[in-house]
Amino acid sequence: MTAGDENLGEMLARRGFGRRGLLKFAFAMTASLALPPALAAAMAENLAAAKRQSVIWLSFQECTGCLETLLRTDSPTIAGLIFDFISLDYQEALMAASGSAAELTLRQAVAANKGKFLLAIDGSVPVADGGVYSLTGGKSNVSMLEEIAPDAAAILAIGTCAAYGGIPKAYPNPTGAVGVEDVITDKPIVNIPGCPPIPEVLSGVLVYFVSFGRLPDLDERKRPLAYFGTTIHDQCYRRPYYDQGKFAKSFDDEGARQGWCLFELGCKGPTTHNACASLKWNDGTSFPIESGHGCLGCSEPDFWDQEGGFYTSLAGGAGPGWRESGIAAAVGIAGGAAAAFAARRKTPEAQE
Amino acid sequence: MAARRVKNFDVFSVDGLVDALLMEVAALLENFLAHKRPGIIDLLGLPLSAACLAALEERLGEGEIAVLLRVSGESHIRETRFPGVWWTRHLDETGRVVALLIEVADVPEILRADPVDMQHSLRRLGEATNFSLARPAR
Repeated sequence: MTAGDENLGEMLARRGFGRRGLLKFAFAMTASLALPPALAAAMAENLAAAKRQSVIWLSFQECTGCLETLLRTDSPTIAGLIFDFISLDYQEALMAASGSAAELTLRQAVAANKGKFLLAIDGSVPVADGGVYSLTGGKSNVSMLEEIAPDAAAILAIGTCAAYGGIPKAYPNPTGAVGVEDVITDKPIVNIPGCPPIPEVLSGVLVYFVSFGRLPDLDERKRPLAYFGTTIHDQCYRRPYYDQGKFAKSFDDEGARQGWCLFELGCKGPTTHNACASLKWNDGTSFPIESGHGCLGCSEPDFWDQEGGFYTSLAGGAGPGWRESGIAAAVGIAGGAAAAFAARRKTPEAQE
Repeated sequence: MAARRVKNFDVFSVDGLVDALLMEVAALLENFLAHKRPGIIDLLGLPLSAACLAALEERLGEGEIAVLLRVSGESHIRETRFPGVWWTRHLDETGRVVALLIEVADVPEILRADPVDMQHSLRRLGEATNFSLARPAR
């Protein structure tokens, strides 16, 4: 599966896929990546001239959910084209080889693409007790990462676990789980968090890298700005209800049935950066808020341990709910910590 | 590939947005006439409601040309009632809109046959010719 000499344009043409298809793909990608559409022609031209991009994928402390969701991009849509642009040279769950043959494949793939391959990681890196809590072929995840990362062109930390430690890092974090960026500090890293991450975001990053030879612009948490530049709240179709002060107070009240804002039911949309509300899931079917549940904030660091839990209204920021819950909490503090907790829990009622 | 769509609820007046976009189209047209440089507006990247998009499409109207492309799903490209201004809708194989554009050009780039594809045509025509010539000799 190593990348050949043929460029992508020739490969696609051989299969009857002409430049028009590539240009259409580029239009879809520039729209997805929030790039100026005028760049589409250059993107298509660069893709045609590019070689297949070697990707070496290592799975650490993970549940395989990230890989599962990303494989679903291989639906019969234009996005499936991304699988023609990359050469997935190592992925333990997908490859046929096992044991020493797999280890040899990994060494060969690294040697053949030294300095050029993208290293994709899913899962957190357990570092407690010498990294003994997750081993592959007797090697700890942390030692594999430290051995292979220096030869990569860049690292893609796929999913919240690889980006920030995720669920394995949840209190009390017995394995000492950390994100890739806590171990490797001298390589370009793109974090693509989410539990799981949105497949289109990975496609977008890969296409950008293959087209322009560099990583897309990132935010301060190393996430692609095009997808993580705004919050779920900013893109949410229920936002007008927030602005109008119309909130569901329980999951089965009239407000919930009317599709009102889920802020008071603990929705973390206002503090969560991701593109679920615009890209959606399951081929654009819906996203959690559209299914009637608040955002859990799964693409943010330590989302599992957030104060108050998933169903407590956000204790910060401006807007309905905050002011009142702050006053309620302040009153509660005067009466003791338990009362403060009770007051915050009662925030929805305090609104009425 | 789902395209990004920014806030799609009505927060601006429909007429105001449509007027602003038409002025943008006019500027792109002016630029094309002066420099032969095509211009494109990505409508999915703008905060337009369905009502606003419909109003814009109606204001631009229908022109003389409508083209159907069948590549990775359908693409519908039609000239508006303003020659040189094209309304382009790219769909994927499932019928989802992956790009919605206003293109300003004499011909939208995607309609041109690419020289590399034409080279392939030439080779395939050659192969087809050889095949038909070879048949009587069997």
